[in-house]
Amino acid sequence: MADDSEWIVESIAGYLGSPEWVIPVTDFMEHKCTVFDDEDENKLSYTEIHQQYKQLVEKLLESYMKEVGISEHQFLEACSSPFAKSKAVQAVFQPVVATDDFQLFKSLMVQKNMELQLQALRVMEERNGMLPDCLTDGVDSMGELEQQELCILKEVLRRSKEEYEQEMAIRTLSDDETGSCSTSSSDRMVVDHMDTPPARDTPPAEVIHTSQMSESSVMGRGEGERADGRDRADSGRVCPKPAAGRGSGSKVLGVLRVPVKGVEPKMSGSQAAESWLEEAWREAGISKSFTELSEVQQEQLQQRALYLRQQRDKLQALRKEQQPKPTKELSAAPVPAPASLEISMEEKKRLQKRKQLAEKLKEEVIKK
Amino acid sequence: MGEVQKGLFSVIQKLKGTTEQELRIVLLGLDNAGKTTLLRKLASEDVNTITPTQGFNIKSVASNGMKLNVWDIGGQRKIRSFWKKYLENTDLLIYVIDSADKKRFEETGLELSELIDEENMKGVPVLIFANKQDLATASPASEIAEGLNLHTYRDRKWQIQACSALSGEGVQDGMNWISSNILNAKKTT
Ligand SMILES: Nc1nc2c(ncn2[C@@H]2O[C@H](COP(=O)(O)OP(=O)(O)OP(=O)(O)O)[C@@H](O)[C@H]2O)c(=O)[nH]1
Ligand SMILES: [Mg+2]
Repeated sequence: MADDSEWIVESIAGYLGSPEWVIPVTDFMEHKCTVFDDEDENKLSYTEIHQQYKQLVEKLLESYMKEVGISEHQFLEACSSPFAKSKAVQAVFQPVVATDDFQLFKSLMVQKNMELQLQALRVMEERNGMLPDCLTDGVDSMGELEQQELCILKEVLRRSKEEYEQEMAIRTLSDDETGSCSTSSSDRMVVDHMDTPPARDTPPAEVIHTSQMSESSVMGRGEGERADGRDRADSGRVCPKPAAGRGSGSKVLGVLRVPVKGVEPKMSGSQAAESWLEEAWREAGISKSFTELSEVQQEQLQQRALYLRQQRDKLQALRKEQQPKPTKELSAAPVPAPASLEISMEEKKRLQKRKQLAEKLKEEVIKK
Repeated sequence: MGEVQKGLFSVIQKLKGTTEQELRIVLLGLDNAGKTTLLRKLASEDVNTITPTQGFNIKSVASNGMKLNVWDIGGQRKIRSFWKKYLENTDLLIYVIDSADKKRFEETGLELSELIDEENMKGVPVLIFANKQDLATASPASEIAEGLNLHTYRDRKWQIQACSALSGEGVQDGMNWISSNILNAKKTT
């Protein structure tokens, strides 16, 4: 009986580390995490999402147990065994326990949200091709990295916003028709995301630029099926995604990563970040697909995208002039994801910082 | 709840290894009744900077050797339709009334009786806090009990307790009622 228990617990723990589990669960979290902040008060929408999470986990576990022939009763027995109570096993089962523990679920989602926001920042920074001075120094400590992230954020947001506004002001002067494109509405656009649909018009340029940006082509290939799936879902995309292989990619899973011989899904950080942007975008009420936008919105998006591309080109040219400090330096620095929920003081501070970043990002990018 | 769901639920209970002394409590009542104030008081937190609840708050409070997971859900009219989503697996309903808000006694009574009729609330004990007793205009608990027809509740345990969430007076008495009535009842089932 004791042997049985161990086998069952191990088997299920193994499953919790397998792609069959990790991919759908991670996917779910990445798509639903945008609304989660770590305010004390919870939003009503959390409950619905928690409910959906429960259903997903139940469905997955149920089908696995059926597949390997573990009965409900056996699982129950196994869970009472001392083996199941060990620290390592408990950690692995966290995502399962989260179905019944709202607070735990929320903390997982909040953390996921923050991770993706940081990655989104990087994507934005890369796409805009901006590399503020503060980024060219060596990257050693976490503190520095955070500083830099804050720096990028400010820089990206400030530049793109100011310059866009300037440009719009100029255009408004010279061309009455663009008057409908108010600056306030432009602010709510996520910086480069709307790059996607209009990119169809200018794919060659896009390809060239993005391939210059980083080691994306190398890392990108390693993504295999996963990346394909993503791209298929995102049929509007013609161009390879820039910088798919940010160093943070392997950290996407954060808390979900299990100490068992599980397989880590190969999902790049920027993909996760992109889906975050998509969600954030949707949340901001900016429609699901380009074609569903009103004409005015479409035009705004296109203008914005065009502007951003020009901006990026300028900056890249500029960067080539000055001896380019490699983007790698930044991208090589991983975002350390907390491996467990045991949050130390330092971790807390970091989370606090991240939260500030996240808020700033949301405020500047998403909201009008 | 389906078979599997029940199964998973008990699996998780096992995994957590904490079945015995944990209670799930929902804290409901009209807006401005003092729910969040009460929740904060229970958790020994500051009660002076509370704003109307747009969503919900959760706190785990240790009381008389029990672990109470208390869910405080906003009471504004537009939020009340969400209340029923939080009633599943509830061990106890705490219903808070602003004893000085006579104009809304009828409204709060209606909301309470609707709650009581919910399928998930079947047989679930109710503790009613007649809150804000520190105000001179507050009605006494006995009067409120009468207005609510509490004496007609025969399908569950109930108790009405006068209190001031702000000062904390009477709150502990309510907690004591919980530990002596609900916990024992739960153990025997
Ligand atoms: N005098 C007095 N005021 C109280 C008492 N309890 C709460 N209040 C006040 O009543 C107001 C509303 O309290 P909340 O705790 O926010 O009420 P709530 O039930 O959570 O309201 P919603 O979140 O809108 O559902 C606040 O100004 C509190 O300070 C009390 O016992 N006495
Ligand atoms: Mg409240």
